[in-house]
Amino acid sequence: MMLADFHVHSTFSDGKLTIPAVVDLYGQRGFGAIAITDHVGESRTVIGKAAGHLGLCLTKATFPLYLEILKSEAERAWRLYRMVVIPGVELSKNSISNYRSAHIIALGIKKFMSADGDVADIARNIRNEGAISIAAHPVDSGKFEKQTYHLWNRRFELAQAFDAWEVASGDRLFPEVLNSSLPKIASSDLHIARHMTSWKTLLDCERHPEAILDSIKKQKLSFRFYRDSKNDNIHSDIHSGYGSLVESRSYRSSFGDYRQSLA
Amino acid sequence: MWSLGVIVHLLGTIVSLWPEKSTRQNPPNIFWEPISILKPLKGCDSGLEENLSTFLDLDYPSYELLFSVASLEDPAYMVAKKIIERNPQIAAKLIVAPVNLGPNPKVNNMVRAYEQARNDLVLISDSNVRVDKGYLKQISRYMRDKKVGMVTSVISGIHGEGLGGKLEAIFLNSFYARWMKLLFRFGKPCVVGKSMLFRKSTAQRFGGINVLARYLAEDYMAGQAIKKLGLQVVLASEPVPQIIGKLQFKDFWLRHIRWGRIRKSQVFLAFLIEPVLFSFNSCFFGAVFLETILDSNPVFTFLAQIMIWFLLDVPTLVKSGVKPNCRAFLVWALRESLAFPLWINIAFGNTVQWRGKQLKLEGGGLLVTA
Repeated sequence: MMLADFHVHSTFSDGKLTIPAVVDLYGQRGFGAIAITDHVGESRTVIGKAAGHLGLCLTKATFPLYLEILKSEAERAWRLYRMVVIPGVELSKNSISNYRSAHIIALGIKKFMSADGDVADIARNIRNEGAISIAAHPVDSGKFEKQTYHLWNRRFELAQAFDAWEVASGDRLFPEVLNSSLPKIASSDLHIARHMTSWKTLLDCERHPEAILDSIKKQKLSFRFYRDSKNDNIHSDIHSGYGSLVESRSYRSSFGDYRQSLA
Repeated sequence: MWSLGVIVHLLGTIVSLWPEKSTRQNPPNIFWEPISILKPLKGCDSGLEENLSTFLDLDYPSYELLFSVASLEDPAYMVAKKIIERNPQIAAKLIVAPVNLGPNPKVNNMVRAYEQARNDLVLISDSNVRVDKGYLKQISRYMRDKKVGMVTSVISGIHGEGLGGKLEAIFLNSFYARWMKLLFRFGKPCVVGKSMLFRKSTAQRFGGINVLARYLAEDYMAGQAIKKLGLQVVLASEPVPQIIGKLQFKDFWLRHIRWGRIRKSQVFLAFLIEPVLFSFNSCFFGAVFLETILDSNPVFTFLAQIMIWFLLDVPTLVKSGVKPNCRAFLVWALRESLAFPLWINIAFGNTVQWRGKQLKLEGGGLLVTA
């Protein structure tokens, strides 16, 4: 069994940690796999362009460096921690309206992917490139941030277009997604070290990118709430060190009907 | 707008003159890590032989020189060959192995030399810089700190001849020096490829210099990549003199169009606010403002502000070896008056001329051959 987090940001977009710092953060805590998923904004909208100019998202120009650093850090993560690092992006369609905004995670990418166009086409492109697509925080995330409801509003039409839908983001579990029959995944949407205390995905597969992505597609996974003692002072008494990984509360015990719905 | 320009100018002057803490003194009997110096050459720069010769007897225990040219026909080939033949005691090589990894001709020129560099510590040094004996020790001492990933230097312009050369020298020794130090002070490194020291092992972590061949400002992008790795990019306290030589006005203009379009492409928002920071624009708004509230003579207040602005630049100029006389003021004023017309020209266009090539810039400094 290994803990995994498939939604993590770095300084290549709006995260506060560099990629090497992210790798060390997860590696030192014994995680088995992470995906670094920095934002890619739309190239034709004012919001997307502004985000690019402000360095809040990846651009065609910064992407080659991003991919190279991910490659070298994946090697380092494996060498030091036996942890798999999967290259990803979060294709971010941001509009003034939350109902027109959508974030789509692509995992296992090999080249730059555009956030332009309709979400169904984007999801199709992701699969055509051999990557997998995840609907990121499709419902109210409960945080003071941009909300993205577009995918959820089109969930019946897009149900098959995505390999997984985030059932949790950060420390918040989404009952709407949980109670649906959609394929699921839980991630932290980590931007700062403190976000380590959040829902994670638990996998039981070989520590290899293909095996990990296959487990997501086949939904051979469960979710755990991870409480990080080093970056969470409030709960520092629960664990003696940050090597203590998983709190006992898990989705499986709390929401036993989920396996049935999957079947 | 007036006050923003004035505040930034004052801040820049203070920062550029602020004495550096003397915490990086060289302790005795320390190990100086061997360095490979890459010298990408293209054509005969002004005083090329003299410039390259300053690298022959540096006060440093172990270093090698790797000259690279793109073709045997390049006049710099014979100059480098002569230097190597005359100085067999120096570990030096001349590499002619053009590659085409991307549109950036400088990176293409030096990739093979980079691959052949024997040492982990690599210095990329342009052909038009002239250094003193202690240069390598001055810059390599910063690399002893494991948090430092790259060291670059402020360039000071010397031996500028012709109108273009004089404008270039005054630009490098005033506006450029001030801004470079200001940006570093506020954690926004702007690396200059004329003097760039880093580790090959660090560069491998972002794909090596090969990956930089697609950018116009390979130096700036290298600095950004180092920063993304969580390492520091530091500015050496000593400037590196660049031999400007004879430049026509057109050379100066085209060079600044290229620099400006790099800035526009890579830091667009900063480029947008540049006009507010130009002395003539700022002083113009100041004159209008003072006329409105004090009913002062706008021509007088404009000229008075320009003079104050120049006087604030004098210490930076003197530090770079420029005598602050009437001629220096006139060249300075001409350079300042050209800043806004240049900016307008830069704003309308995406192509640049570089080393005889017409190149097109895309967002983020990506290059495509036009």
